[in-house]
Amino acid sequence: MIAASSANRSGSVAVAGALAAGFVLLALAGPLLAPHDPLAVDLARRFEAPNLVHLLGTDHLGRDILSRLIVGARTTLGSVLVVLALVLGLGLSVGGLAGMVGGRLDAGLMRLCDVFLTVPTFVLALFMIGALGTGLVNVVMAIVLSHWAWYARIVRGLVLELKTRDYVLAARIAGAPPLAIFVEHVLPGVVPPLAALATLDIGHMALHVAGLSFLGLGVQPPTPEWGVMINDARAFFWTRPLLVVWPGLAIALAVLAFNRLGDGLRDRLDPTLIAERGL
Amino acid sequence: MLRFVLARLALVPPMLLGVSLLVFVVLRLGPGDPALDYLRLSQVPPTDAALADARAMLGLDRPFAVQYLDWLWRALQGDFGLSYATRRPVLPDLLGYLPATLELAGTALVVSLALSLPLGAWAAGHRGGWQDRLVRGIAVLGVSLPNFWVAFLLVVTFSVTLGWLPPMGSGTIAHLVMPALAIGLMSLSVNARLLRASMLEAGAGRHVLYARLRGLSERAVTRRHVFRNALVPVVTAIGMHAGELLGGALVVETIFSWPGIGRYAVSAIFDRDYPVIQCFTLVMTVVFVLCNLAVDIAYAWLDPRIRLGDDAA
Amino acid sequence: MSKLASLAVAVVMACAVAPAAGQQLTYSWPTNVGPLNPHLYAPNQMFAQASVYEPLVRYRADGTIEPWLATAWTVSPDGRTYDFILRPGVTFSDGTPFDAAAVKANFDAILANRARHEWLDLTRQIDRAEIAGPLAFRLVLKAPHDPTLRELALPRPFRFLSPAAMGEGGTTASGIKAPVGTGPWRLVETRLGISDTFAANPTYWGGKPAFARLVVKVIPDPNTRAIALQTGEIDLVYGAAGQIPSEAFLRLRDQAPAVSGAVSAPLATRVLALNSARAPTDDRAVRLAINRAVDKDTLVRTVLDGLEPRADFLFAPSVPDADAGLTPHGFDRAAANRLLDEAGWARGTDGMRAKGGRPLAVELDFVGTNAQQKAIAEVIQADLARIGIAVRLVGEEESAILARQKDGRFGLIFGETWGPPYDPASFLSAMRAPSHADYQAQRGLPEKPEIDATITAILAAADPAERKRLTAGLLTALHESAVYLPISHAVAIEVHRSAIAGVGFGATLNEIPFAAMRPASDRADR
Repeated sequence: MIAASSANRSGSVAVAGALAAGFVLLALAGPLLAPHDPLAVDLARRFEAPNLVHLLGTDHLGRDILSRLIVGARTTLGSVLVVLALVLGLGLSVGGLAGMVGGRLDAGLMRLCDVFLTVPTFVLALFMIGALGTGLVNVVMAIVLSHWAWYARIVRGLVLELKTRDYVLAARIAGAPPLAIFVEHVLPGVVPPLAALATLDIGHMALHVAGLSFLGLGVQPPTPEWGVMINDARAFFWTRPLLVVWPGLAIALAVLAFNRLGDGLRDRLDPTLIAERGL
Repeated sequence: MLRFVLARLALVPPMLLGVSLLVFVVLRLGPGDPALDYLRLSQVPPTDAALADARAMLGLDRPFAVQYLDWLWRALQGDFGLSYATRRPVLPDLLGYLPATLELAGTALVVSLALSLPLGAWAAGHRGGWQDRLVRGIAVLGVSLPNFWVAFLLVVTFSVTLGWLPPMGSGTIAHLVMPALAIGLMSLSVNARLLRASMLEAGAGRHVLYARLRGLSERAVTRRHVFRNALVPVVTAIGMHAGELLGGALVVETIFSWPGIGRYAVSAIFDRDYPVIQCFTLVMTVVFVLCNLAVDIAYAWLDPRIRLGDDAA
Repeated sequence: MSKLASLAVAVVMACAVAPAAGQQLTYSWPTNVGPLNPHLYAPNQMFAQASVYEPLVRYRADGTIEPWLATAWTVSPDGRTYDFILRPGVTFSDGTPFDAAAVKANFDAILANRARHEWLDLTRQIDRAEIAGPLAFRLVLKAPHDPTLRELALPRPFRFLSPAAMGEGGTTASGIKAPVGTGPWRLVETRLGISDTFAANPTYWGGKPAFARLVVKVIPDPNTRAIALQTGEIDLVYGAAGQIPSEAFLRLRDQAPAVSGAVSAPLATRVLALNSARAPTDDRAVRLAINRAVDKDTLVRTVLDGLEPRADFLFAPSVPDADAGLTPHGFDRAAANRLLDEAGWARGTDGMRAKGGRPLAVELDFVGTNAQQKAIAEVIQADLARIGIAVRLVGEEESAILARQKDGRFGLIFGETWGPPYDPASFLSAMRAPSHADYQAQRGLPEKPEIDATITAILAAADPAERKRLTAGLLTALHESAVYLPISHAVAIEVHRSAIAGVGFGATLNEIPFAAMRPASDRADR
């Protein structure tokens, strides 16, 4: 809807896409790419300034910060990707079911979604961790449970809209089974806008994971995680402010990349959908 | 309008009932043992006899439905039980901490609006110029920075280095500045961007063209036709940000020693203090629901069409 | 009722004139101090209970006991009857006289809730409390109990609340009307999540505080606390080393003259308990090797910033009765390797050891949110890897760690001795209770029944020389068995702004000598 400076924009989206791809690569292959063992403690080399061996220096236990950031990408972004997969799976099945079947099932599922949507997401995540206990797996579960209802609602809305399209009606009249209709005709229409929204949500969810970890509710040591790295480094900011800066920059850069990419994807899609999320 | 408000209000109790059931079920399905946690927090050695006593005392030996109904009946009377850790009634304590959190989140919202509306309008007015680029840059960056990181950098800059603002505590406006900014930055960025976009869109609308043709001044056109219409998506966004602002307050409170509900809740989570966790979730939900109600009403006032084609879901 | 009373107090205070600057001492604590019931535990904070309420006798830094609310006492030859003469002229801050009747009322209230104080031997041993005269009080025990006076000196529960402020029927188990004690401070206002304010007790019998008010701000985060001291939001940081990050402590301490700081003598011992009932730490060779493989000097110098001295034994030799003349299991990686080689733990291709197909791997459990434990755990993991022991770190929330201590589900687990006045007697006593990590760690030792019997004998020993001999024997046995890996001796730290003078360390961690602190200008008067 905003045509302004589109050339400039698509350029920056391409950069963001490359950056995002880079982060995903780190999340997948981090341990192979890290120049050092991110867990190797070397007390003789604590707090080294950035140098040729340790490009970003070392932390309070002499561990290589760059390696910890790279492997931390796996923890932070990797868990977000898992969250996303689960949320999309739940959203597609619940939303799809509600939209395709309709009637009482639809009403029931939507009331269930309403209940989940009534609680603010961060509060719901906190609550889930309170019930399940702390730890990364539970943080992932908590974020899934606090976000899936959004997706279910959106999928249902898209399905209802797509159901009225001519080609879907035609397939129905031809007697195709609902599942086949969903997979063959509805799903292709649902996936692109959903992908755009999901990309936009990656940054948002990464901030949630980092925030919960910052509160000490998430990842357990020695696993590197960006939010935990910030929290750990706070104790040393008096003498080594850079230790806080690096993981913060890593989060900011990753969120920025995925947000820009999400924007770019969204702008190529149906604008009416977007208003619904207000982003 | 009254009818609309009442219809919205009528939806609140069933929602809360659903949430309360969800909360109750999930806590009972979780891996923890409330009786054990109760004993630990009461500093009573957890022998088998003590565990059995605690189970009976907490009513955990009764069927699930009985437990829920009993809890619901008491909750309806404002009795959410005693905190395992402090042995004090949960609700009064939570309500004691709540105002500080609301003050913080509310200020963040005000800061967000006070800065984002002029910024968004400014950017829209200088579309493509450096002003536009600056605002868009701030907006893009603002949604990407973790709030606790921003909070920390603000403290280091303005309290430790410059000594301008108090690093912690509450009571004066100076105390509010940094935490509110740290929390509100996200909402500020989104709103500025949204307002810019919707002003550009509204500015291209037909009624604006007619208004211009009618010879109205550019200022009047902007104020009367563009801005008001452009506010609609911003108001929607605020409803969504209410939850984010509250969540942000919960995270940032610890850094600023802000006397809010967040620390109480987080330590309850670490302690497995079930009555507190339950009550906290419900209280925050009520706040959130009321926020959204207010947003709905503002929305209906800005855009009368909503009231007519009301879709309750 | 207690609410009404504290409200009334708050109103009275609000009407009082605000004190001039310099008359107020500002301190901080992670939480509010609680309702200050002297006979209950959390959420009451010990330092605050100890500021408002006083004991019959006090524990001194050299391990001896000094008169306090009791001016003199005698113990019967059979060790079962304690007769106390109470200090005359003492009143509670509500005007109620402190006499034998008040003491008895407090003991009755404590004993009415005996189950809650089960952890403390003395509560089990008390047979009855009697009034022997207006200012004479008698305590009769079921059996002789040597640590009686030390346990009476604890911050809780044996301290005294005005009988007029007790709950229904003279009990305190389910709440009190108001926190009224005999101590130097009175709690005058509590603001939830913000602060607690104490005022100097004008009727205090002892040396009156130099400050009119003591404000305790609620600051949960150690970094925020350090910043608050730097920017002058608070005057004083005092307490266990975790109150502020050690980096911040070092930096602040060097900011003379605006700020100065000090480190206390060793107070307690940070140890890891090694589970003798669980493989592979059921093998003494493995436990010894672990003891010899950890480079504590480097660990202490780096992770603990050199603030805490290295620990070689469960108790510092300065702890009463604890100098058993033992030789430390010093750091010697070669010796550790040798021990494991000889015990048949052979290195595999990856450098990790195994015996009979069973890998040499242990689990180290710690509180995930405790930055210090986390860092120490990570260092130990690296040190043990060097001698071929694989360590799996398990960081969990505090409640989960406590549960593990209780039922022995750990390989290595963090613990800390309790410090004065609990060390050594009360701490040793708890080793006999299955719900303690020490019991679980020692459970696999063949000599465990003997250890428990010796502890019981130590607690009953009336003759100091005999007690010392028994204690030395016990500590030797524990040392030889290597079920503990002592890390360092925990210290207290103190940092204060230059406006405050007279800051010193108390005999125990939980009694902060606020009353001795004064505005610095007092010193400069000519």
